[in-house]
Amino acid sequence: MTDQLGALTVIFTEFYYWVTVVLMFLIHVGFCMYEVGASRYKHHQHTLMKNTMVIPLVTVTWFFFGWWIYWAFPTGPGIAPSIMNESAALITDESTFSAKWYLANSEFMAVNLGDHISGVFWAAFLLFSWTAASIVSGAIIERITTFAFGILAIAIGSFFWVIDAAWGWHFDGWMLKILGYHDAYASGVIHAIAGGFALGVLIVLGPRIGKFSSSGEPRNIGPRNPWLVTVGLFLIYTGFWGFYAACNIPIFDLGPEYGMEGVTYWTATNIYVTPTTLSGITYNFLMSLSGGLLAGYVVAKGDPFWTYSSGLAGIICASAGNDLYHPIQAMLIGAIGVVIAYKMHYWVERKFKIDDAVGAVAVHGYAGVAGLIICGFVLNGYPSSGYSVGAMWDGSTYASINPLGQFLGAIIMFGVLGMLPGYVIARILNAFGKLRIPRDVEIAGLDYEIMEDDREAEKAVASSTR
Amino acid sequence: MATVTNWIDHLSAEEVVGAVYPGAGSSETLLVIIGVVFWIGWHVLTARSESEKLARLARKRHGANDHKSNITDW
Repeated sequence: MTDQLGALTVIFTEFYYWVTVVLMFLIHVGFCMYEVGASRYKHHQHTLMKNTMVIPLVTVTWFFFGWWIYWAFPTGPGIAPSIMNESAALITDESTFSAKWYLANSEFMAVNLGDHISGVFWAAFLLFSWTAASIVSGAIIERITTFAFGILAIAIGSFFWVIDAAWGWHFDGWMLKILGYHDAYASGVIHAIAGGFALGVLIVLGPRIGKFSSSGEPRNIGPRNPWLVTVGLFLIYTGFWGFYAACNIPIFDLGPEYGMEGVTYWTATNIYVTPTTLSGITYNFLMSLSGGLLAGYVVAKGDPFWTYSSGLAGIICASAGNDLYHPIQAMLIGAIGVVIAYKMHYWVERKFKIDDAVGAVAVHGYAGVAGLIICGFVLNGYPSSGYSVGAMWDGSTYASINPLGQFLGAIIMFGVLGMLPGYVIARILNAFGKLRIPRDVEIAGLDYEIMEDDREAEKAVASSTR
Repeated sequence: MATVTNWIDHLSAEEVVGAVYPGAGSSETLLVIIGVVFWIGWHVLTARSESEKLARLARKRHGANDHKSNITDW
């Protein structure tokens, strides 16, 4: 960097993403607190460690192959040609946005004086990956082995969600081009897929012992520490705010990018490189949070566990279009999403005997799917990409946002890349006897031996003070 | 191993080389292989110890409230 203004732009962008990464770390802190608060005393430490291990497992696999997938797969492969090289193959050529630069042995995946952005951008996406895995973690507490969860976390965090991000979030993604898919803050790309994946696992894993009576009536196993759950969800809200900022490009000149001769237009953009403002999405984040909280308080009759979760579900439902919605639209959409998620949770629980311990499938999955479909109607006709202005480099044109495209997108996110792989991998783990802990351990508590050791240690300490 | 031995020479070169970590340009693939072995090895080790722990605890057949006698702080 030799000119000061250019250097300032680059360093600002680098610092911007770095701040979002630190903020998003709070999502994981929140998830850990939330899960421990929702679990029973005898499972606390196992629950905490299971979710904590998401951090190293998804991080190293994200480094080894996850980040490469995001850059390699936007074309499908084989579904729609890239606007960069006009090929429908994996993007592994020499172009600027090629996956080649993000192989684990690339010199850009390290300290590199010529690249200030790759590491912070990699980290921002990595934090999204932790979230995807952590969403699944909550639903399956108190009965899954750490080994099985590790495999499932890697599958959703470093593989399946990245494929959907390449398809539906990358500016060159085939879902934008063919379906007109729009999901600016990830109703589907992270939440619907993770919710669907959790549901697929839950079908195989089964409920916690005692969750259903012999006649099939569900019993409430409520949060054991509502205060920990409360603080956890506040932290998730905070981190989610950072996530919104992380989904934007903070400063970008759209004139040359769109091929507008002689036009300069500096702005923040969403992940699709279409203009939005950090200010505008701040309105919508808070209004959709509020819509969710208000609706949740009503449908859950003031129950704090569901009211807090509803705030999150409200944001998730509005997220697909929160780059463009009016704040009151965001509020109403958030409220609608919460009602759908809450009702669906209890219907599925009774009908199919699914024990989703923290309501993750509802809050992330059903609210995410609802958000995608609603977005298709509210933003019907908007361009899914700035590149749809005129012909693309390969001669085709991006589809505009439409209800059918969003509906198909929701099926792909929740069902094809979420629920189906979750179910299949869980079946394989189950076939090897590696999915669920033994019944006697579930009854005794996963922390039994740790607690027993603590008791002995305490006795020894007490005897030495006599 | 050192990629940079003099910053002034490095930054005043006609084309500044960006990668400055030790072993730049020669060690990356080996590092990835070592990293993958470390990662897979973790799964193998922890899966084995977890299976042993779960089997040991299952054999004791504790009741649902037995853990309460282990709670030390009230």
